[in-house]
Amino acid sequence: MSSEMSRMKFYCDDDRCIECDGCSVACAEAHELPVGISRRKVVTLHEGIEGKEFSTSVACMHCTDAPCEQVCPVDCFYIREDGIVLHDKEVCIGCGYCLYACPFGAPQFPRDGAFGTKGAMDKCTMCAGGPLETNSVHERELYGQNRIAEGKVPVCASMCSTKALLVGDSENIATVYRARVASKGKGVQTAPFGWSKAYGQ
Amino acid sequence: MANTWGYGAMTNSLGDIQNSKAIIIFGANPAVNHPVGFQHFLKAKERNNSQLIVIDPRFTKTAAKADFYARIRPGTDVPFMYGMLNIIFKNGWEDKKYIDDRVYGMDEIKKEAAKWTPEKVADVTGVSAEQLMQITKVYAKSTPGTLIWAMGLTQHSVGTSNTRLAPILQLSLGNMGVEGGGTNILRGHDNVQGATDMGCLADTLPGYYGLSSGSWKYFAKSWGVDYEWLAGRFKSKDWMSKKGFSLARWYAGVLGGKPGEDKIHNAGTNLKALFVMGNGITSIAQQAKVKEALDNLELIVLADPFVNEAAILTDKKDDIFLLPAATQFETSGTVVATNRTAQWRYQVVEPMYESKPDQDIMFEFAKRLGFYKEYTKAMLMRDNKTEFKWPEDATNEIARIIKTIGLTGWTADRLKKHTDNWHMFDEVSLRGSGPMKDEYYGLPWPCWTETHGGSTVLYDINRSVKEGGMGFRNRFGMEHNGTDLLAGKSSAPKGSSNPNGYPEINAKNIEAVLGITLTADEKAKIGKNWKVDTSNIIAEKCMKAGIAPYGNARARAIVWTFPDQIPMHREPLHSPRTDLVKKYPSFEKDKENHFRVDTKYGTLQSSKDWAKEFPINLVTARLVNLNGAGMENRASKYLAALTPEMFCDIHPDLANNHGIRNGGMMTIHSPEGTHITVKAKFSFSVSPDRIFIPFHFAGVFQGRDLKSHYPDGTAPYATGESANTVTNYGYDIITQIPETKGGLCRIEKA
Amino acid sequence: MTSTTQNALSTKIGRRSFLKMAAIAGAFGATSSFASENVTRPATAEEVKNPFPGSKEVKTICTACSVGCGITAEVQNGVWVRQEVAQDHPISLGGHCCKGADMIDMVRSEVRLKYPMVKEAGQWKRISWDTAYERISKKLNSLRETSGPDAVQFLGSAKMSSEQAYYFRKFAAFFGTNNTDHQARI
Ligand code: SF4
Ligand code: SF4
Ligand code: SF4
Repeated sequence: MSSEMSRMKFYCDDDRCIECDGCSVACAEAHELPVGISRRKVVTLHEGIEGKEFSTSVACMHCTDAPCEQVCPVDCFYIREDGIVLHDKEVCIGCGYCLYACPFGAPQFPRDGAFGTKGAMDKCTMCAGGPLETNSVHERELYGQNRIAEGKVPVCASMCSTKALLVGDSENIATVYRARVASKGKGVQTAPFGWSKAYGQ
Repeated sequence: MANTWGYGAMTNSLGDIQNSKAIIIFGANPAVNHPVGFQHFLKAKERNNSQLIVIDPRFTKTAAKADFYARIRPGTDVPFMYGMLNIIFKNGWEDKKYIDDRVYGMDEIKKEAAKWTPEKVADVTGVSAEQLMQITKVYAKSTPGTLIWAMGLTQHSVGTSNTRLAPILQLSLGNMGVEGGGTNILRGHDNVQGATDMGCLADTLPGYYGLSSGSWKYFAKSWGVDYEWLAGRFKSKDWMSKKGFSLARWYAGVLGGKPGEDKIHNAGTNLKALFVMGNGITSIAQQAKVKEALDNLELIVLADPFVNEAAILTDKKDDIFLLPAATQFETSGTVVATNRTAQWRYQVVEPMYESKPDQDIMFEFAKRLGFYKEYTKAMLMRDNKTEFKWPEDATNEIARIIKTIGLTGWTADRLKKHTDNWHMFDEVSLRGSGPMKDEYYGLPWPCWTETHGGSTVLYDINRSVKEGGMGFRNRFGMEHNGTDLLAGKSSAPKGSSNPNGYPEINAKNIEAVLGITLTADEKAKIGKNWKVDTSNIIAEKCMKAGIAPYGNARARAIVWTFPDQIPMHREPLHSPRTDLVKKYPSFEKDKENHFRVDTKYGTLQSSKDWAKEFPINLVTARLVNLNGAGMENRASKYLAALTPEMFCDIHPDLANNHGIRNGGMMTIHSPEGTHITVKAKFSFSVSPDRIFIPFHFAGVFQGRDLKSHYPDGTAPYATGESANTVTNYGYDIITQIPETKGGLCRIEKA
Repeated sequence: MTSTTQNALSTKIGRRSFLKMAAIAGAFGATSSFASENVTRPATAEEVKNPFPGSKEVKTICTACSVGCGITAEVQNGVWVRQEVAQDHPISLGGHCCKGADMIDMVRSEVRLKYPMVKEAGQWKRISWDTAYERISKKLNSLRETSGPDAVQFLGSAKMSSEQAYYFRKFAAFFGTNNTDHQARI
């Protein structure tokens, strides 16, 4: 990974998101999350109010200055070169500080408090696994799939029903979104989100 | 729809919606029910600035994306559409040439429409005159426009009128047979289109052939069995030609003859056994009656991957059989998407546990009931085989026999090739490239021959028949009241040897219409008409001449065999507007022997002032995470977790009037004397005169938890009261689809 | 929601426990690498690219609605191990709603009906397919004799393949009744 790589980001186009929960269920299923752990959540605001209702899908935003990382007492977070914020579950003590710090409520804690198969704290990994050996069974059990290592797009965005949810390096996302806005009303067929662009395949 | 122009299916495709300049949606909520399909609607908005208009009793997720939203009172779509037509005709916005060339009977519509002034429409529908005018103007001026509907339009006692007037609205604007136009009915289950095409129905044989002795003879011959033998399987030839009980009212067949129940006509017997495969009958109306019927059956057989909740609903103690059927991923075969596209569903894994695919179960029963050889013979006939291969030989059997909707081209090999190469098709036009050139994805029917590429846009005369073009079907005769029913001059599909209207092709007229001469050999082989011509000579010759085998006629706005020749507004049987019931009553006479059971209309409607006791409109619909009776989705922990319990959307004002709190329990009472108690969820998506409940739950019946009825380890992750316990009596006069979208109820705090 | 449902929802069911159970049921013998205990060995190049070595992708179609979204199923040793993205499907472009995204879990659901059963004197009892076929056929035959074929109602499904739906209609015809229908009428 070169250091010129821009940072991986999500963007949810709320003109498109319809709260179908495709993304959140795809995530839960792909990583076999216990019920009650939502790495990704879809929220609708002003439900039922004309002109105001909208839906959007939120997960860990993989912040540049990740507040979770700054408050963690055992320093279990690490940020990859491509901006993906990950943590080491075998170091994490499940104290919940990160949840207080996170503006998006991304960190999740198993309901029954016990260290389940997904460890003390669980959050979106941008489908990039964790610090364990890449694509090992151990990694998969603790962190879920490592699709990034496979050269695949994170599953939530690739399965988004309306292609509202975009993921990739921030510049590419901006390009896709700009193309949508620019083509408005011009009869241009906006291509589905370019996988080729995002991962250079 | 089939009664307007020949076929009752979605005319265009989901991708084609991207070509539209306006989209009007009646009684459908694609954002929730067809989420991935809705992506194409959103793209139409982005690409074309397409105006999205949503007409719905609820402010749905689809409405949240709309440019215009009209909150219509349930069951008043006919007045709304007449209101639009009124404005269109008054301003001369109709497509006059199109109507002249391709439509019959529009004058009658014009007369009726004249009565529906915007003010009158406002009174009946609850949508203001200004809004109606604004919506009509936008829709009429932004062509092509596509009209979308689903169950919100069909589930009424006048559902057939709804689905006739919608096409007429489209015809008036010339929106039929064009890219970006059409009447696009969104089907529910994954293979509703396929199963319907296959005649898994009480009133037809596969391919909509009807139940006349002529149809039976054609099938007997095609199945390689003796017609007399087949007829001998029935009680009599007479009963062979009579519609059977439908899914909507089969229970009446069990209860018939009991005091207070509708009378039945079923070959001198009640129903005593029920054999169900993959059908969640807990999602049909009148659950209390369904339960009673189940209790009274002698034998219940339920084949499903999950426990069919019919087994849970009933208190019957003996002779309920649960057979573990395989899922569709454990077998293979054709599935037809809502736009008539066929896809090959490949088998993913072997059937798990002891489950067996549906066909194996049917074959074994056929053996034990003594008709296996006759039953499977047709699979061997095409290539004179001794053993058949499932499903390929069945696919090819269907292709060999079903001509009416043009399935000749749907051979197993071709369908597989399409699925294998799905990446070679364009998302908007569905056109293939590379090896798939000249074909549309999934060969949307009619696919007339084994080299035809399918038809993505029905009734498009700007394409040649070879490229999927066609006029309207010649299905209703040559003339009516002295008017020619064939299409007008120069309105034949592009490149046709016959530029005008022409009749459906048969052995007698083929030479004259196509301008050809048949050889003696061809004459000997050709079938009587295009619908039974297994020699395919008619279809092949037609392709060469650019002629659609089913003719080129006018669409009709008048259906002279229906009780309402043109669609008329009739209030739902249970209407909140007693004043309007007097003005727009339901059918005066009850319908005798409607799918073997007498069905009530006017007498029930006028028997009581329903609205006085039951003042709230009850709206039922789907949720995104569940479908149908919901059993298979509630068996998924992730999907069940999204809506773990049954609920009711209620406006806070209405709730407050009854002392109901957000998250508190409320009871809903129906005119049938049934009730359910569910959790109240405050929502502004419904207005204070109506409530909304989803229909996917089961496992609780009128407050009784039936959890103990599930065999160990088979209970789904979520159970709840079934909405259909409180939906009202009422059935469409033609199709018998239940009126679940326009009922009444009374609510109270629980 | 009853407490049992809540319990069921909150238990953590991993694929491993699922597979164990399936193996007991004897439906298939193979296991996936999820169940493999060998975690110390360095990953092969193929594993880094594909965590399910030797798996193959099967193209199939979502069964939840009539949009007909494409599904790419990743199958290893006869086990459906992962639902991949059918991004090149011309209708869905890889998209799924929550139902479609979870098709794999429908097949593998633990609450599936696993063997034929009959209710007798109010109790569910496990029976063999042969017994089920035998008892049902006997009753159907006798009803057909005594009350006529119209004493039976057949209800097929819009969830069947077209071939199955066609053969279901044909079944009713050969049994001798038009009392057959499916969900087009709800
Ligand atoms: S990127 Fe992966 S882990 Fe993160 S929300 Fe999406 S699917 Fe879940
Ligand atoms: S899948 Fe896409 S449209 Fe559906 S909820 Fe998620 S972001 Fe929104
Ligand atoms: S993924 Fe959703 S939208 Fe697509 S076919 Fe399945 S149920 Fe329908």
